[in-house]
Amino acid sequence: METIKAKLDETPFQTAGPFLHIGCMPNAVKINKIYQNDLGEIPFKDKQENELITIEGSVFDGNGVALDDVMIETWQCDEKGKFNADSGFARLIPNNITKKFTLKTIKPGSYKGFDRKTHSPHLSLSISARGLNMTLNTRVYFEDDELKNDPLLSIISLDNVNSLIAKKIRKNSYLFDIFLQGDRETIFLDI
Amino acid sequence: MNAKSLIKRNYKKHPEIDFPDYKSSIFRAPKNRKISFPSSNTEIIGPIFNKNIIGKLDNDLTLNFSRNKISPLGHKIIVYGTVSDQFTNPIEGALIEIWQANAAGKYLHNNDENPAPIDPNFAGCGRCLTSSTGYYEFLTIQPGPYPYPNRGIEWRPMHIHFSIFGKSFGQRLITQMYFEGDPLIKLCPMLNSIGNEKAKNSLIGVLDTSRSNTQNLLAYKFDIVLRGIKQTYFENRKEGL
Ligand SMILES: [Fe+2]
Repeated sequence: METIKAKLDETPFQTAGPFLHIGCMPNAVKINKIYQNDLGEIPFKDKQENELITIEGSVFDGNGVALDDVMIETWQCDEKGKFNADSGFARLIPNNITKKFTLKTIKPGSYKGFDRKTHSPHLSLSISARGLNMTLNTRVYFEDDELKNDPLLSIISLDNVNSLIAKKIRKNSYLFDIFLQGDRETIFLDI
Repeated sequence: MNAKSLIKRNYKKHPEIDFPDYKSSIFRAPKNRKISFPSSNTEIIGPIFNKNIIGKLDNDLTLNFSRNKISPLGHKIIVYGTVSDQFTNPIEGALIEIWQANAAGKYLHNNDENPAPIDPNFAGCGRCLTSSTGYYEFLTIQPGPYPYPNRGIEWRPMHIHFSIFGKSFGQRLITQMYFEGDPLIKLCPMLNSIGNEKAKNSLIGVLDTSRSNTQNLLAYKFDIVLRGIKQTYFENRKEGL
């Protein structure tokens, strides 16, 4: 199937380290005079509060400690399954007291993909931090959606498939904890 | 129909995730294998950033945080190069964000415990979008090496952190550029987490003497390659890929 051969190797990853905020979210670490806003601060800016859902959670290391020096990026389509320039992009860091990240966004729609399959509503999520030599990728699905025909979820036979599914905790609110290691290690994807 | 897909990653040319010489990875690196699956639109499409987010001094770290145009301490450098994909196509509009320590090896960050001075005229933060030929350029100062706790105190080689967005969320790359000739390079466990020698060397910015000799600064060239995206034409195939 691969007709054209790649000529170059992809540049290798290196860890984002503990100070990634300086470059990616400077306003969050009080470097306020360079960029007006941090990138990905508010996805879907033109939406009203009552159209939004909340996804919250923590990122746990192998000792069960909730981290506050990670950066999470999310990317998604709109409610109609359409991808727009940059409005579906968000960047998050956990609150340094509660150690929870909170994403306010719209619930994505399902879409028919390049693979001609229908993908259940989901976000793509990446995690970068000190101690991670490469950025990790995963997807976030929603437990109140129809999931059994999704092309990714249907190929995973593992018990921890639930690690990709956000739990509904309140009206319009979901919990999505991420476990870097341990019995509940999140499924990470080779995207 | 036109189907798009990302070229599979060659993990032999990337760092090992679980690499105990880099102590922080011990309790953070996942232990299970990643699940491979045919990526679809969420991974193949990505955010595209508009030119209007970029301010005039965003790629000039010598001025974007300075008070009264006072230069930060250290010698000035230009870091430049091109962003292309694995098929050698230049990528226009790629967003590059960088961050770095000051000349003394200190970051402007509360979590930096290095007892070195901050520089009131330097934040170490910059960004730009690549041109139609994939070109980018930053004017900054030479970052210092710095000590950090690893297996006892170790020293990071001089480096600049890079974050890059191409056209696809699956092309997303976070890496570091090192400086040619730095004796700390061969001691660095983060760089040595890459097993492949050629891949490792591709992270070392090369001194460009022709440019350095015509301007009052040193120039380093660092080219970046993002994953290729394949376009495949399918005819009435039921199952796609
Ligand atoms: Fe660093």
